[in-house]
Amino acid sequence: MRVVLRSILVLGMLCSTGIGIQESRADDPMIITFLTWKPNQPGVWKQLIERFNRENPNIQVRVQVAPHSSTEYHAIISQRLKNKDKSVDVFFMDVIWPPQFANAGWALDLTSRFTPQQRQKFLHGPISANTYGGKIYGVPCYLGAGLFYYRKDLLKKYHFKPPETWSAMLSQGKVIIEAEKNPGLNIYSAQFKQYEGLVCNMLEFIWSNGGSVFDSETGKATLAMPPAEQAVTFVRDHIIGKAAPRGALNYEEPESLDLFIQGKAIFHRNWPYAWAVMNDPKGSRIAGKVGVGPLPAFHGHSSASTLGGWQFGINRYSRHPKQAWQFVKFMTSHETQKFLAINAAVAPTRRSVYHDPDVQKKMPHLEAFLPAFEKARPRPLSPVYPMISQALQRFFSRSIVGEKTNIQEMIQTTSGEIEKLFKLGSMIRK
Amino acid sequence: MIRKDQTFHFFLLAPLLIILFLFIGLPICQSFFLSFHRDIVGLPNLGNAFVGWVNYSNLLHDPVARHSLLITGVFVGITTFFELLLGLFFALLMHHRFPGRGALRACVLIPWAIPTVVSAQMWRFLFNDAYGMVNYALFGADTTKYIPWLSLPATALLSIVTADIWKTSSFAALLILAGLQVIPEDLYQAARVDGASRWSRFQHITWPLIRPAMLVALLFRTIDAFRVFDLAFVMTQGGPADATNVLQLYGYKKMFVEGWMGYGSAISVCIFIIVLFLAVVYVQMVGRRLLEARV
Repeated sequence: MRVVLRSILVLGMLCSTGIGIQESRADDPMIITFLTWKPNQPGVWKQLIERFNRENPNIQVRVQVAPHSSTEYHAIISQRLKNKDKSVDVFFMDVIWPPQFANAGWALDLTSRFTPQQRQKFLHGPISANTYGGKIYGVPCYLGAGLFYYRKDLLKKYHFKPPETWSAMLSQGKVIIEAEKNPGLNIYSAQFKQYEGLVCNMLEFIWSNGGSVFDSETGKATLAMPPAEQAVTFVRDHIIGKAAPRGALNYEEPESLDLFIQGKAIFHRNWPYAWAVMNDPKGSRIAGKVGVGPLPAFHGHSSASTLGGWQFGINRYSRHPKQAWQFVKFMTSHETQKFLAINAAVAPTRRSVYHDPDVQKKMPHLEAFLPAFEKARPRPLSPVYPMISQALQRFFSRSIVGEKTNIQEMIQTTSGEIEKLFKLGSMIRK
Repeated sequence: MIRKDQTFHFFLLAPLLIILFLFIGLPICQSFFLSFHRDIVGLPNLGNAFVGWVNYSNLLHDPVARHSLLITGVFVGITTFFELLLGLFFALLMHHRFPGRGALRACVLIPWAIPTVVSAQMWRFLFNDAYGMVNYALFGADTTKYIPWLSLPATALLSIVTADIWKTSSFAALLILAGLQVIPEDLYQAARVDGASRWSRFQHITWPLIRPAMLVALLFRTIDAFRVFDLAFVMTQGGPADATNVLQLYGYKKMFVEGWMGYGSAISVCIFIIVLFLAVVYVQMVGRRLLEARV
């Protein structure tokens, strides 16, 4: 543990001295540092940054690479910003960070630059995730949301439409498994390990039953209300060990996707990236046999997806906020988002890109993702979200791990914890 | 003259002392310092006020921490017991003269030489619920009987226990083997002349003489097992339902995931004190045994 702290410190020192030397000459172009993690297609991003540097000869953007894992990246960036590190100008933010970065005074308030008219051109979910206390702190780059993948060939064989309710999914699944006589086939595959992904999955069940975790207006936990409790009980009684294998209690995205592409599950919940993997005939047994749409809901309620994705933020201690904004504007323009959608296969946050003819031709599935993206909701907006998430992970995992867990008792404890954490988050020393 | 020598010796030692202080002394002091403050990474506006014993009293009343301590205790108990048992077995085997002994000694050390993160990843695949070799070995092709080892609280803990025993039994074996090799051969010859059986030779010569080595192995294994982190981090992330949420992992999550620097430090300080206590107790015991052995 201490080794990590020490290496972060050393890294920070190395980075800051390195940048300091770079900036000593006045006639050189202004250097903007962009902190991000290594993307899956580094070449595509490099092309974009080179294009920006060509078009803006007075600014040079330099990329600093942080760890790929969101948690590790967060540990490093929060240490640096906490120490008012001026050597970072623009940073990539995970969708759950803006409230924390805003509250801590690390992210620059972009309200005057990123005007309401401009914001309207973006999807609603990512904009609300970047808004805290009525001000906006980030510009969405690309988004993710929980999507519902299904075996279109099997549904067609048994004359089913993609299920709109969870109970329809269960009954369709039962019919198909019985008729296929395949004991290795499961109804559902998703992520139920005790980690961040568990919160995303469980929130989708709770939201699609009209429930929620807590109300950020009043600061009251709403987890103990019937819709949330029913949803959690449903997952324990009908999903774990029934529709989904009990092994799903240790599944993250790759393991659950593996089950699906081996042809061992009929329905699957995952992020947009999974589409390309399941349709690649080299590793997938179900390439071309997959349909996609919004997740099912409980009867009488509407579908909901957990929002994921990444945004650009500007360091409040940056010495060049103007140039930093120029870079962010370039990176989130229609043209750039189109380029990224086609070449890096990421989902754009601007509505207009979905209707672009080139995008529709090269990435036809993106339009099928849009209904789920429109319904995507951010996780609880709070500067103490990482703490709330740990409490929720503990509660969800303990609730669904066995057949006779005491959900009611745990729901009370967890609600109390969440309210306490919320109070802590809204405490500000004047 | 002697005085001059001492200063000279001190100068020779200085670089080492400085490094030890910088990389061991300072971080420990910093952990102690942090554990008396409320320092939350995500909430810098709260400042880092001195809060006295608050973090420690919260820790005392934290049911998750108590559960973690219990889990860690169970892990330490089971792993050290089996590692010493298997270690003794391997050491006796390696001590025996037979063709290919050198190769066997090298083989036994392989698990210990593999970085824990790598072997943890390997065990994660072995215990996989759908294609793991453990299931295949037990149930063959009958996939309906496959057990999701890492998904049930009891078997998840058992899995990381198994991985740890596999990995570090050879370390215990090495320490015990060192103890075996200093036993003079003439003791056995004398016993054989007196007509002592194989068992009584073990009972009256080998066992009493390797006890100090066993204690050293026990000391190292207990302390090391107490600090288990990487196995749980890679194989289960502490789940399901906190069943493998060992103390170190809990401290790591509090500190680096949630950002409670003070509270996380209080957890590491507690681990430090427990380990220090164990070390002092064991070293006292080992020291006495060694003296007795010499007399």
